Amino acid sequence: MGKKRLTSLIVLVVIILAFSGCGNKKEKNSTTETITLRILENDTAKQKGYLDKLLNAFNEAYKDKGIQAVDANMEEYSDLAANGPYGYGPDVIYQANDKLMTYAEDKHILPLSIEDFDCYEYTPTEAWDAFNINIDGKTYCCGIPVNIQEPMLFYREDMMPENWETEWDDNKNGIADFFENWNDLYAYSKLLRDTDESENKDSQYGFMSSFNNLYLNGEFLFSYGAYIFGENEDGTLNAEDIGLSAGESATGLMALRQMASLMNEGCVDDTITMNRYEKIADGTYFCAVSTPDTYGLFIEKLSLKYEEDGLSETEATKKASENLKMVELPALLPADGDLSKDSSTMKENDWVDTIVMGGINGYGISSYTKHKEACIEFVNFATSYEMINSRMEMLGIAPTRSDVAEASDGITDTIFKSLEDGRIYLMPSIKAVDQIWVPSHTLLGDVAKDPFREMAGKDIKYPTKEKMKQGLEKVDKDIYDAIYTLK
Amino acid sequence: MEQENKIIKTSFPVKASMFVTGLGQLLQKQWIKGSLYLSCFIVYVFYLIAVGARDIKGFFTLGTVKGDAWLGIEGDDSIMMLLKGLLAFAITAIFIALHISNINDAKRANISLENGEHLPKFTKACATFMDKKFYIIALAIPVVGVLIFNVLPIIFMILISFTNYGGDIVPPELVDWIGFDNFGKILTLSSIKNTFFKILGWNFVWATLSTFINYFGGLGLALLLNKKCVKGKTFWRSFPILAYAVPGFITLLGFKFMFSYGGPINHYITMNGGAAIGFLDIDAGNMARIIGLMVNAWISVPTSMLLATGILSNMNNDLYDAASIDGATKWKQFIKITLPFVIFSTTPVLITSFVGNFNNFGIFYFLRGGLYNEGYFLASDTDLLINWLYNLSIDNNYYGIGAAISLIIFIITSIFSLLTYVRSNAYKKEDTYR
Repeated sequence: MGKKRLTSLIVLVVIILAFSGCGNKKEKNSTTETITLRILENDTAKQKGYLDKLLNAFNEAYKDKGIQAVDANMEEYSDLAANGPYGYGPDVIYQANDKLMTYAEDKHILPLSIEDFDCYEYTPTEAWDAFNINIDGKTYCCGIPVNIQEPMLFYREDMMPENWETEWDDNKNGIADFFENWNDLYAYSKLLRDTDESENKDSQYGFMSSFNNLYLNGEFLFSYGAYIFGENEDGTLNAEDIGLSAGESATGLMALRQMASLMNEGCVDDTITMNRYEKIADGTYFCAVSTPDTYGLFIEKLSLKYEEDGLSETEATKKASENLKMVELPALLPADGDLSKDSSTMKENDWVDTIVMGGINGYGISSYTKHKEACIEFVNFATSYEMINSRMEMLGIAPTRSDVAEASDGITDTIFKSLEDGRIYLMPSIKAVDQIWVPSHTLLGDVAKDPFREMAGKDIKYPTKEKMKQGLEKVDKDIYDAIYTLK
Repeated sequence: MEQENKIIKTSFPVKASMFVTGLGQLLQKQWIKGSLYLSCFIVYVFYLIAVGARDIKGFFTLGTVKGDAWLGIEGDDSIMMLLKGLLAFAITAIFIALHISNINDAKRANISLENGEHLPKFTKACATFMDKKFYIIALAIPVVGVLIFNVLPIIFMILISFTNYGGDIVPPELVDWIGFDNFGKILTLSSIKNTFFKILGWNFVWATLSTFINYFGGLGLALLLNKKCVKGKTFWRSFPILAYAVPGFITLLGFKFMFSYGGPINHYITMNGGAAIGFLDIDAGNMARIIGLMVNAWISVPTSMLLATGILSNMNNDLYDAASIDGATKWKQFIKITLPFVIFSTTPVLITSFVGNFNNFGIFYFLRGGLYNEGYFLASDTDLLINWLYNLSIDNNYYGIGAAISLIIFIITSIFSLLTYVRSNAYKKEDTYR
């Protein structure tokens, strides 16, 4: 009986404790009037200390105005749509335009009067457009641009051929031809492969990229007239019109397949994406595609290599920073998709401009914030010349502010100009963009596999341009089905 | 006549308890018990007036006002309304159970009073209850836990499958009840129907083969390591356990790397002059499926081995001696003695293993995620229903259709588990080996 009473008592206590957590939270009386903003930045900004710098600078500048900003301390891709309405999301969020505008579609981030921001007059229209949304016939801008993202080419300067200035610079402009057009990049990659004397012919490669990735390899489609979503008459995106097969994009796939034949089969899956840092560092790959925010990883691996060779940490980092270069992808692709043609025999209209896929990262303000004006103050501060310049120096980003870009060295300004010149196809800023990735990645990887099927004596799946076109049309259909079948 | 009058007279508290919880007890002068019942009644009525009625209504409408964060209109959150409605029904069910108990209690008390007995005091009634129905108190928390953490999510999932939640219909959009439309889509839309049946077929093959391989792989290993001639049994047994000890997803990512073009397997193949093999490519087909089975065996065989080792240690060796004397071969002994004994003991484990494999999400998500095959809707040829469910509901936000597939998986696995179990010897001859 005693034991039963004791057990009953324990059960009662457990029930009381369990229910003690229920009920409304009592609002704590705040003794100060300080407004606290929760800022959600990306992981790189946190790791490299930029977020701390930004928060400290803002808090110092606004301490007399009773506003302070803190790290929202949540995962970078934290879902504002799921958390915001219940008061748990950030007040200010930094994201790529496609992600940010997905929130805008359901009004989870606020429309802004962009003319009120200091960066307004320094930011190109293309960058603002990435954050525009049309609701009930009216256009709203829901984000403040910060930086441009596009795939870049990373290489070691000491791996350039010794005779590049005489043999690989036909126009004598001081830039190697293989960084100016894809045919020469193909030719140089082929040379490297042909002269690879290692037992398994796997010690030197030219251009390398994991082709199962539309974002990194979109130039093979967009340069030839492909688009993701068409436009309605009023300029808004029409998700029913999917155009990866549009124009001569099948020609681009022929070029992609040709390029894949000079790589290893790592181009079919994520292998090159995983090992590019290490393989650039050890000289196996001459150049590889990646995004600007991975610059630090290339430097890190190259520094380690130099340290293994006997340099001190400081010397190794310095040498790696001097030796590792980041340039835009070659600006010209062959109009007929044949990379094997001698570039010196090609005329101006034999080329098409390379159009890469890219995005604009920026700040959005949560619709659920209780301090809209303070958030605007923060975003204005974070997009000021000083902070964007600091962001560029610390994170290696390409800013959307023209004044910062112009004052910087060559590459950021080049990226900025590419955006202005329409050489960057921006990720569409609508929810439906989520559906494009898997179908397109599947096809690109499958096309890249073709040369290896041929080498293995198997049937190739895309022997003609028509087959490529059919493959692209299927991707369009798959994307359409994914968006609309279950609507 | 006197007896009849007595019944009418004494049944009034029972009637009163039918209308107001606890009133009967109060009329029977059971003040504390009556007050407690009445308190519950008042709390429930208050709850109904305050939020309960609104929540029940919200359950049916799933909201009427669409939110607009820009205009500061909070709007209705259909999913929260569904949950709150579910909670309101649960609270109502609890109250009804309490009300019925109140009526029964009033009836019992009435009978006692008719028999001229004194009604026990509240403390004594409590003590008697604790003594005679202690199991109710002991099981209260586990039952409540199961209801909240198991039953409620299942009911919620079932309800979601009857809504259009997902795609563009996510809060602040209002969700609606759509009846069996999601199930209809699965069975009528050609792309979805074909994908569903292709995946379902492969899912059964996968679950059967993987359960078979894991089970007999573990049993075989246990029998091997049980042999007297094997030296250093503990040492050898530790190897599979090490494989088991590594977190599953780490193992799977490791295998994905091993089978990738840059992985060690292709490295050695190419180093020896061979061509790299796309083990997990889009057109890998059955090779990817076989790799999946083998990788699953790597992860699961140690569990079966440990289980079989434990069961084999309880075997009566006299049976084998007798069988040997009768001239039974080793194979015959295995078929007639070892296997029935082990299967008898492990039938429930086999069922859970089958269901676990049927719903084995990790293997193909980690090994071969991010591919869509031709002829499949948002899925690849190695995806199981659970992977497809993930693609639909998490990657593509089609929660309603995902919930409908969950319900189908739930029905299939439940029916299979129940049928297998009730037809097994482990159920029919429970006492055989006691």
